[in-house]
Amino acid sequence: MRFDTRVKLLTAGLILLLSQFAAIAASDDPSRSLASPESFAAIGDTTARSAALFTEAGKVLSDARCVNCHPAGDRPRQGEGELSRLHQPPVVRGEDGFGAPAMRCPICHQQTNFDPGRVPGDPAWHLAPRAMAWEGKTLAQICAQIKDPERNGGRSLEEIVHHVGTDHLVGWAWSPGYGRQPAPGTQQEAGELLAAWVKTGAVCPN
Amino acid sequence: MTTLNITINGRGYGPTEVRDDLTMNDFLREYLGLTGTKFGCGAAQCLSCAVIVDNPDGTSYTSPTCIVAAANFNGKTIRTVEGHANNGRLSALQKAFIDHFAFQCGYCTAGFLNEGQVLLERLAKQRVARADLEKIIAEALDGHLCRCTGYIKYHEAVRDVILADPARYLG
Repeated sequence: MRFDTRVKLLTAGLILLLSQFAAIAASDDPSRSLASPESFAAIGDTTARSAALFTEAGKVLSDARCVNCHPAGDRPRQGEGELSRLHQPPVVRGEDGFGAPAMRCPICHQQTNFDPGRVPGDPAWHLAPRAMAWEGKTLAQICAQIKDPERNGGRSLEEIVHHVGTDHLVGWAWSPGYGRQPAPGTQQEAGELLAAWVKTGAVCPN
Repeated sequence: MTTLNITINGRGYGPTEVRDDLTMNDFLREYLGLTGTKFGCGAAQCLSCAVIVDNPDGTSYTSPTCIVAAANFNGKTIRTVEGHANNGRLSALQKAFIDHFAFQCGYCTAGFLNEGQVLLERLAKQRVARADLEKIIAEALDGHLCRCTGYIKYHEAVRDVILADPARYLG
């Protein structure tokens, strides 16, 4: 084998190896994983433990995958963190959260992600109602809203746990498609955290 | 792969095996040679790629094709710009676009034509007040981008088709 070919192969192999290390490092990032409910057992005070469980679940609730479609206004957002922006094209909520009459969400957002178009998808793609806006809210405020049947779609706490832990559209947050970071942990882990939160009294953090 | 069956401009196409990652825009233009539907931004912003989708209940809407998989149109009935004329006879809207010199380069025109046609068909089913007409036209054509014309003549063309038959479109 020629020397320059060997160099190219070695370089490619080195890049591959380094990318694997980077992937491992990213997966170890604590902000992208969820602690198990059991790991909060050391918090003796039940109230404090309950609030801590919700704070951990709050990593999901405050993630861009959720907040982008729980906007404070009438337009969804795209992207994450500092790169988050208002949705382009400039679509709006409409009367039912499924978009304007001539630009319904499902026209572009189909049943599944369409990666060639970088378009996420789910059969139930739509905005959360205004009462469930999370954009700009603290975890304490989100917690209060989630617990309030007037603002959570009339759900019991058990139904909230079921919704977060099993709903298909909620589950999209962990399989968001090309170019989008999944929500922290897994949907099952998020549901288990909220179940433990409810079991310990559903206390909201300060 | 998906087996695609679709009706386009009244003609059935398929069964055709298409890749799941094939956009409808590519299917129309590259597979079928229907190049009247354009590819502009590739992000459903300019709507030069929009086609009409006909629902079984008789209503219609426009859909981008640049970011929607061809597979998602399986079983659907659509109309493209090639389907507006009837045996070479232009539709009222096409004639109005010409009469008003509504287009220049023509790249956005297919999208405007489809959107305008959907609006006309909607108004024929549910007429509107004359006082609301300009606002309704603006809302319907909103989102379609044009770099050449400044939009006014597109709006006037659609408006004048409606005003030419007020009994049909206006309440």
